[in-house]
Amino acid sequence: MDFEAVIGLEIHIELNCKTKMFCDCPNRPGDDPNLNTCPTCLWLPGAIPRFSAEALEKASLLCLGLGAELQPQSAFDQKVYYYPDLPKGYQLSQAHRPLSRGGGIDITDEDGNLKRLRIHHIHMEEDVAKLVHELEGRVPISLVDFNRAGSPLVEIVTEPDLRTPHHAMEFLKALRTQVRYVGSSECSMENGSMRVDANISVRPRGTSQMNTKVEVKNMNSVRHVGDAIAYEISRQSQAVQAGEAVVLHTRLWDPDKKVTLPMRGKFEGPCVPDPMVPVIELSPAFIEEMRSRLPEMPAARAERFVNDYRLTGEEAAFLSADPDVAGFFEALVKKGVAPRTAMHWLATQLIPAVKERRLELGASRVTPERLAALLALLAKDEINANAAREVLAHLFESDETPEAIVNARGFRQVSDAGALAAMIDRVLAAQSAAVADFRAGQGKALGFLIGQVMQSSGGKANPKIIRELLTKKLG
Amino acid sequence: MDSIFFYRNSATAPADGPLAGLKIAVQPTVSVAGWPADAGSKALANFTALEDATVVSRLVQSGAFICGSTLGSEFGFGLAESRAGEAVKHNIAAAELMLDMMGESRLAACGAGVCGFKPSYGLVSHFGLIGLIPSLEVCGLLAGSCQTIRHLLRALAGPDDKDFSLPDEKPGEFYAPAPEPSKTTIGVIAEAQSALPDAEKSKFHASVAALQKAGFAVREVSFPDWPLFLPVHKIVGSVEASSAAGRYDSVRYGERAPGARNWNEMYLASRGAAFGTLLKSFLIQGAYFQFQRYDAYENACRIRARLVADMKKLTDAVDFLVLPVSGGASEERPRTLDETYGRFAATAFANVTGQPALVLPPASAAEAPFQLVGPRLGDAALLALGDFLLSVREKGK
Ligand SMILES: [Zn+2]
Repeated sequence: MDFEAVIGLEIHIELNCKTKMFCDCPNRPGDDPNLNTCPTCLWLPGAIPRFSAEALEKASLLCLGLGAELQPQSAFDQKVYYYPDLPKGYQLSQAHRPLSRGGGIDITDEDGNLKRLRIHHIHMEEDVAKLVHELEGRVPISLVDFNRAGSPLVEIVTEPDLRTPHHAMEFLKALRTQVRYVGSSECSMENGSMRVDANISVRPRGTSQMNTKVEVKNMNSVRHVGDAIAYEISRQSQAVQAGEAVVLHTRLWDPDKKVTLPMRGKFEGPCVPDPMVPVIELSPAFIEEMRSRLPEMPAARAERFVNDYRLTGEEAAFLSADPDVAGFFEALVKKGVAPRTAMHWLATQLIPAVKERRLELGASRVTPERLAALLALLAKDEINANAAREVLAHLFESDETPEAIVNARGFRQVSDAGALAAMIDRVLAAQSAAVADFRAGQGKALGFLIGQVMQSSGGKANPKIIRELLTKKLG
Repeated sequence: MDSIFFYRNSATAPADGPLAGLKIAVQPTVSVAGWPADAGSKALANFTALEDATVVSRLVQSGAFICGSTLGSEFGFGLAESRAGEAVKHNIAAAELMLDMMGESRLAACGAGVCGFKPSYGLVSHFGLIGLIPSLEVCGLLAGSCQTIRHLLRALAGPDDKDFSLPDEKPGEFYAPAPEPSKTTIGVIAEAQSALPDAEKSKFHASVAALQKAGFAVREVSFPDWPLFLPVHKIVGSVEASSAAGRYDSVRYGERAPGARNWNEMYLASRGAAFGTLLKSFLIQGAYFQFQRYDAYENACRIRARLVADMKKLTDAVDFLVLPVSGGASEERPRTLDETYGRFAATAFANVTGQPALVLPPASAAEAPFQLVGPRLGDAALLALGDFLLSVREKGK
């Protein structure tokens, strides 16, 4: 039998707020254990949660960035479960009345077709504490770190629109790009700021029934999500074919063995509205204000790049996938750099150079102003491409202008015909074999001779003028 | 008389401020920084409050002296083990603060023969109160006079940046002129007396007659859904308590239960061992509605909203309401959940609606203590009425 999968994702995203969701403690889970705590996030008797305005704004922007509809009223409930990472026994989460409904993401499916994957709703919730297990000693102990307790999260719940591992991976990549655009989170699965659970069931292809689903957790990268879903689809398909029933449960992805394994479920009960956190009422003015803060989203930006700068769709998509890259590109163009040159230098030179130095694009010495000044020298033929690449390396090390670096280090291109003619004469005298080859009709020899002249100029010669002069002399 | 205290303040009283010289006792459900705050429960044994409750910090800022913490029931629920009211009765404290979940402060005041007041919901901060049912409970006040209560409430009321559940608007000055009896109508809810035994009923009628004698227009009013207040309180209150009581985990404070094989068992066993029988019945009742009858909980919430609206209509039609305090149950200290509810059958409604309610001691043995009730946030006028009635009695002596 041919099976198809029905997949829904539940994605937790840690908002990059300065404080936790219900207190003023710094939202820095990675600090030394239990450094960022107070009676509220330790859930001590008498404490009262105070909902953070910043969390509401970052969450609202995220919703709008995904095309979701902010709800005029939303509210927090107590999600009761008993586990030592939640010593108070309930998590504040919007179980009944979420912050937004609807929205979705467009992906390109395996056949190159555009496919809309819908979002069911997005709600806010607080993170729980982190457990650290020390199993080495004589008595194994478990420690609780409350730094993460109360950190602001949103949970994005998709419709069961996904059918393949490819859909899931494309959805997550696009989601990451869009959330980074609005600036609400870094969305790193590796660092845990994006956590993905997948609900998977299988059915005979062509049918529309919804079968019992299995939840899979513990994937630490987009690739793992794809692998885990692929594994789970084949496991369930085989089980169904063997006549076994699929039962509702949760499984953990084991990235080493590349299998999913069943885990013990947590006790969970229905949610009661929290009596202390007021109902969140969003005024039309607030929603409008959030909308006005929304940046141009990647799809719109890419389209504009194609129209305004005559870039290919692929180039535009590459640039607009990262808001920092897109911003850098536009700054270069504004400074007079030709769009295609700007695109080319970003993709092949600057971004690799920044990565190699473990820097951030927006935070290195190479500002759009300095790179534009360098590319202007290149455009005016004052330096050649080789020299420009070397000057770029120097830009990372000093604050001098590209012009000063070119002058001080002798990168200026030699375009003086007299000086070049003398060099060419010396090369032609020394390379008689190549000259003979060229005259015998071997075009390749010209390239070799140009290279030789370039070498003898210390890389500074203007290659265009060498070609002209050589062709004339040999012709 | 020290046995009524669980903890006594050994510091010296401050000398100035509008409340200087006023000694105030609190129940252990009210946090005072550095004091043990076990809320009367083994689950919080050895827990020391890190911060003052807002009610405490505001009183201290006004010059009052918090003289000690009195013995209370577990989490302030019911009055079974409580010694609330005795410090005021014996003039050890001028006032006492305690949680009023279903009428505790009003019944404790009755027992002590003093005034008891449950403020409107939303008037006084919850910050630092260690209770069970935030949507129903408020900080109640006991004192010898309505004037003292008014002074205290003036210091306590108003927005608190530590409690976002309070409305933002600042309440006005806590002053209302003395009522003019001929222009003031007091309604008597017929249904509220139906459970009273005859002896109590006639004492209550004597109290109502005294109001008429003072010149007030008294008329009988009807609230057909009166019998729904107690079941709504039972369901909403117990579900709220059961859902959130896990935070009193008795692991980080309190006593861990021995013998558990793993951490999960340890948490569950500690919670099980910490709570007393009455509280466990309450929490189990809540768990039943939360997990087995969630529809009943949702219905109770809907009915609650209707009761609030109907009560608003009633208080629009009259200026105040007068009700008995007694629920008609026996005088003995109730032990079971049902007996406990029975004792609070006439007071729990104000926790459901969020109205202010004032209990005055009887003028004589021929009368019963009674409750005066105003519209929500009509606290100042209600206290002015109480003050007026007490002064009429003084003049009559
Ligand atoms: Zn905190």
